[in-house]
Amino acid sequence: MHSLMSKPTNIRNMSVIAHVDHGKSTLTDSLVSKAGIIAGAKAGDMRFTDTRQDEIDRGITIKSTAISMYFELEKDDVADIAQKTEGNEFLINLIDSPGHVDFSSEVTAALRVTDGALVVVDTIEGVCVQTETVLRQSLTERVKPVLVVNKVDRALLELQISKEDLYQTFCRTIESVNVVISTYADETLGDVQVFPEKGTVAFGSGLHGWAFTLRQFATRYAKKFGVDKNKLMPKLWGDNYFNPKTKKWSTKPTDADGKPLERAFNSFVLDPIYRIFSAVMDFKKEEITTLLEKLEVKLLPEEKDLEGKPLLKTIMRKFLPAGDSLLEMIVINLPSPATAQRYRVETLYEGPMDDESAIAIRDCDPNGPLMCYVSKMVPTSDKGRFYAFGRVFSGTAKAGPKVRIQGPNFVPGKKDDSFIKPIQRTVLMMGRYVEAIEDVPAGNIVGLVGVDQFLLKSGTLTTSETAHNMKVMKFSVSPVVQVAVECKNPADLPKLVEGLKRLSKSDPCVKSYMAETGEMIVAGAGELHLEICLNDLENDHAGIPLKKSDPVVGYKETVQAESSMVALSKSQNKHNRIYMTAAPLDEELSKAIETGKVAPRDDFKIRARLMADEFGWDVTEARKIWCFGPEGTGPNLLVDTTKAVQYLNEIKDSCVAGFQWASKEGACAEENLRGVRFNIMDVTLHSDSIHRGTGQIMPTTRRVMLASQLLSTPGLQEPMFLVEIQVPESAQGGVYSCLNVRRGHVFHSEQRVGTPMYTMRAYLPVSESFGFNADLRQATGGQAFPQSVFDHWSLMNGTPIEKDSKLQALTVSIRTRKGLKPEVPTYDQYYDKL
Amino acid sequence: MLYVIGLGLSDEKDITVKGLEAVKRSERVYLEAYTSILMIDKDKLEEFYGREVILATRETVELEADSILANADTVDISFLVVGDPTAATTHTDLLLRAQSKGIACQVIHNASIMTALGSTGLQLYNFGQTLSLPFYTDSWRPGSWYDRLEENLKLGMHTCVLLDIKVREQSEEDMIKGIMRYGPPRFMNPATAIEQILYTENERHPPSKLKPTSTSTTADEPASGSTSRSSSPDPTMPHYPTYPTLLDPARTLIMTLSRLGTPTQLILSGTLAEMSELTEEDFGGPLHSVVIVGGNSDKGKGRLHPLEAEYAGRFAVNGGEEFWRCAKEDYGVERESI
Repeated sequence: MHSLMSKPTNIRNMSVIAHVDHGKSTLTDSLVSKAGIIAGAKAGDMRFTDTRQDEIDRGITIKSTAISMYFELEKDDVADIAQKTEGNEFLINLIDSPGHVDFSSEVTAALRVTDGALVVVDTIEGVCVQTETVLRQSLTERVKPVLVVNKVDRALLELQISKEDLYQTFCRTIESVNVVISTYADETLGDVQVFPEKGTVAFGSGLHGWAFTLRQFATRYAKKFGVDKNKLMPKLWGDNYFNPKTKKWSTKPTDADGKPLERAFNSFVLDPIYRIFSAVMDFKKEEITTLLEKLEVKLLPEEKDLEGKPLLKTIMRKFLPAGDSLLEMIVINLPSPATAQRYRVETLYEGPMDDESAIAIRDCDPNGPLMCYVSKMVPTSDKGRFYAFGRVFSGTAKAGPKVRIQGPNFVPGKKDDSFIKPIQRTVLMMGRYVEAIEDVPAGNIVGLVGVDQFLLKSGTLTTSETAHNMKVMKFSVSPVVQVAVECKNPADLPKLVEGLKRLSKSDPCVKSYMAETGEMIVAGAGELHLEICLNDLENDHAGIPLKKSDPVVGYKETVQAESSMVALSKSQNKHNRIYMTAAPLDEELSKAIETGKVAPRDDFKIRARLMADEFGWDVTEARKIWCFGPEGTGPNLLVDTTKAVQYLNEIKDSCVAGFQWASKEGACAEENLRGVRFNIMDVTLHSDSIHRGTGQIMPTTRRVMLASQLLSTPGLQEPMFLVEIQVPESAQGGVYSCLNVRRGHVFHSEQRVGTPMYTMRAYLPVSESFGFNADLRQATGGQAFPQSVFDHWSLMNGTPIEKDSKLQALTVSIRTRKGLKPEVPTYDQYYDKL
Repeated sequence: MLYVIGLGLSDEKDITVKGLEAVKRSERVYLEAYTSILMIDKDKLEEFYGREVILATRETVELEADSILANADTVDISFLVVGDPTAATTHTDLLLRAQSKGIACQVIHNASIMTALGSTGLQLYNFGQTLSLPFYTDSWRPGSWYDRLEENLKLGMHTCVLLDIKVREQSEEDMIKGIMRYGPPRFMNPATAIEQILYTENERHPPSKLKPTSTSTTADEPASGSTSRSSSPDPTMPHYPTYPTLLDPARTLIMTLSRLGTPTQLILSGTLAEMSELTEEDFGGPLHSVVIVGGNSDKGKGRLHPLEAEYAGRFAVNGGEEFWRCAKEDYGVERESI
C-alpha cells in the first residue's frame, strides 16, 4: 500500500455523489467487496460506508466516509489510460458522500480532496435536483465526473420495459447529465461530458452487484469476432445497427428490404441481460444452463440450487461484476493527482501561482513543502478528539516535525489564526476503521491526529514559511434553520458548551453560538440536518438531556431604496461627524459575493473592472470599496464616496470595525444585513488623532449606518427552500393545497417521460417548512417525496418601520425572542441633528 | 451656576482660592478623570475640599451630560478638570450644552501643561501647533500629526507633543458586545513616544531614500485632481513629499517633561538620537510630555534664542556635549559662558 502511495500517477481520489436514494452506498459496497474488505455475498446489503447507527436505522448516509482500496488493472488495459502511469497496480481512495441535500456540505468537503467523481443516477428517477447540485459543485471544484446509471434491475423487473425503451431512458438520463455538465463546465477542465461509447458511462445495479460499460462488451465481442475493441465500442451505442444477414453495419434502422433492424446496443448488450432475466425469473432451467455456458459463467455446486432473485443476483454478479467494471472505468477515465493538480492548483491555492507552494502543488511533489488541506473533522473513538481529514497536495505528511496550522482567517505575514505544532500521527481512513501509517506523500487522502484542537473546521497545514491558505470551501447550503438549546439540568452547562464546540467541529456546516440572551443557538441546513445534529449533541458530544426550542429561522435585514436624506452622526465627544447614505445592492451582486465570485481578497482593480462590467458600477467607486461585511466577507459593502477629506485613511480601521458591527446586527431586529451598500458621503474630523480614536469613531460609524438603514425603507429577507417533489398525478392536488397553506408556490411541474410520476418544483419559505414533510405525506397518502434545499433569500412585503404592519409584528417577535426592547427603533435614535 | 474649575498640575493644593470657594459652595462636585490624572488620590481631594467628589468617566461626560447639569440652574455645580479647563483638553461641549439650557457658567482657570511649558526655558511665544501622539497598534499608526510637526519645524517653531493616556479603555469586541470591561490604565512614556516618532519619521523618510539629492525640494506631486487625494484608499503606496527631513535624529533637539509641577518633576533635553537611547525607567512614572525644539530648518535658522538654548541646555543629558554640538551646528546657537 505504502509503495503505491508514493506513485501519484497510480492514485485515484474519487467521491461517489448522487441524489438521495439513488444507491451510492449500495454501489460503493460492490467496489469495496472487490477490494476484499467485505464478502462479495454481503455486498449490496451491508452498506459498509454507513458507519453510524442512525445511518443504518434511517437508511441514508449522513457523514461522508473514506476508504482506500487496491486495484489491479488487466495488463492489456493499461494502454487505454490516456495519462501517465507506472505499472498496472492502482490505489483508489474512495469517499462515499451523503445524498440528502441537508448534508451537501459533506459533499463539498469530499469533493475538495478528490479529483474525480462517480455520479450515480437512478434509471427510473433520472437526474434530480441534488444530482444537479452535486454535479455543479464537482465541476466548480474541477472534479471530473463519470456516470453510473443505477438500479437497472428495477427497470427490468418492476417496469418490464422493452429494450428500445430502456435504451431511450438511458439516452435521456445521459443527455440531462450532459446538459448540466456543459452548463457548469470549466474551460480549463476541458470537455468532461460523459458518453457510453467512450467508456465513461456504466450501467448496473448496486443492489445486485453488477454493472457494465460498453468497453467490457466490446472486449468480449472483439475476442469473438476478432475485431479491434476500440473500433467496436462506438458501434455499440447510438444509431448503429447490425444486419445479421449481411453481417454488415448500418446507421439506418431498416435494412435494404425495409425490414426493421435491431439497434446494436439492444442486440449485443441488452439482449443477453434480458435473456438471463427472463430465463431466471420464469424458471427455465435448461435455458439457464445453455446461457451460462455461452456466457462462460460457472456456478458453484451450492449455487445451482438457487432460484429466482438470489440466482439472478449470483449469475449477474459473475457475468458482469460491478467492482471490476466500475473500478476499471474509474482507473481508466478519472485523473490521477499528478494530472489533476496541474489544472486544479489555480482553484485550490490563494497565493501567487509562482511561489514554492503553488509549484509543489502543481507538480504533486512529495519532496516539496507540505501543503495539506483539512476539509473536515472525523470523530475518533476517543471522545472529544477528532481526526483531521484532508488531502496532501504536496510534500509528505508525517508525524514529528512541526508544521504551520493555518485557519481560514490566516493572512500571510501575520500570526492570526495560525499555530506551529507537530502532527502526532498519520492514519489511513478505512470506512469504520483506521490504519496507522508512517507517512503520507503528496496526492493522498489522510487522517491526522493531534491537530484538531488548533483548527475549527477546516484549514491548511504547511511547512512553507510563505505559504498562503488553500482556498476556503464555499458551501451550497447555509445554516438557515436554528433552535435554541438548554440543558435540563443547569449544572450541565459546561458540558453543553463543550458539546457544542465538538458538534461544530464535527460537521462542516453546523453553526453554534451564544445569543445575547445567553441562549445557545444551533443552526443547520434543514430540519433533518438539525435533528441529526441535536441527536449527536444530546447523545454523544454533550451526553446530557437537553431542552430544545421550536426551530426558528434567521432573517436578513436589507434596504429597499436609497436613503431619503443623508444620515449624520456625531461622535460622543462631538468633535467628529460622519455623513452617510445607504442603498440596496443588486440581488445579482449579493449572490456573486455570497458565491465568492466577487470576493474581498480579490485584487481591487480586477474586482472593480468586473463590477463595472457585470453589475453596472462606476469603476472609480468600485475601486473605493473599503470592505465587505459582516465577517469581512458578507454581501454588504462600505464605499468611500468622499472627496478629498483629510485624515480619512486614519479612521478607516475604526469605520470598518463599526461597519462589521452594524452589518452583523442591523437596526430593525439585530439580524445580519444583506445587500446593503453604505456610502460615506463626508466626514468632519478633529485634527488631532487622539480625539478620533476607535472608541469615538467605531460607535459613531455604527450609529450613522443604522440611521441610514432606517432612512432607506428597511426590509426583511426570508430564506426560501427550493422543494422538489416526486408525485403521481393523482396526488398533485394534495401537494398544491399543502403548499398554498404555507405560502409556497409551484413554478414548474413536469411529467417524467415513461412514468406516471410528476416532478414538481416549488418555492417554500423556510419559516413555513417545519412539519411540511409530515403534512405532505398526510395530504398525498404518502405518495409524495419532497426534497428541500435552501435556494435564495426573498424580500418580504412591507417594511418593519410601518406601524402595525405584519412585518413590524414579525420584527417585534424576533426582538422579543432576542431579549431586546420590543419597539423597532426609529432613525432619530441614531441620527444626530447638526 | 456651573463652575468649570481648573485643578492645576499636581495635587489638591494647586486649586485657586476662587476655585476652592466655588467647590465649597457647590451642591455636587464632579471630577473629570479621563483626559488627564492628578498625581494624588480622590480621597485627598475630598479631605481637603471637605466635599464628596463624584468621578465622571468619559461615558458620563459625553453621553450623560444631562445628569451633570441636572438642576444646575438653581444650585451650584462644580466640574473639576485637571490642568486648565479650556487649554489642552476642551470641555466646550459641556459648556455649550449648559448655555443652551440657560445655565450660567463660569470657568475658573489654572495652570496647564501648555503654560507650564515655560519651565523648559523655551519661550511660549515660539510654540506652534500642539500635537497629541496616540498609542500605535499593529494596524493603526496614524501619521497625520507629522504633517503639523513639519509645518512647525519649517517655520522654526517649537512643538509641544502631548502623550496619549488610556483610562478605562474598552476593547473593540467588548464594545460590540456591550461589555463594560476596561483595560488597565496606560500612560505613554517618552521612550515609547520617541520610538513612535522615529517610526513615522522612518516611514516618511526611509533612510534608503535619503540620498543627498536634496535639491528636489517642494516636489509636492502634481495636483492632478482625483489621484492625489489625501484619503487615497491605497495605503501601500503613500506618496509623501520628497524634500529632506526636518526631523533628522542627530540634528534635532527635543525635551521631555515628566510630572511637571510635582516634587519629582524631571526635565531632560538632548538630541532626538541620544534621547532615544534612554529607557522608560530614566523618565519614571507619568505624566509626561515631549517638546521638539524648532529652529533647525533653513527658514527657522536663528529662531532659537540663545537664552532659550542656555536654559534648556541646563537639562541636557550626557553632559550636554551632544546638545551643544547640535545647537551650534544645526540651530546656529553657541554656548555662552556665564
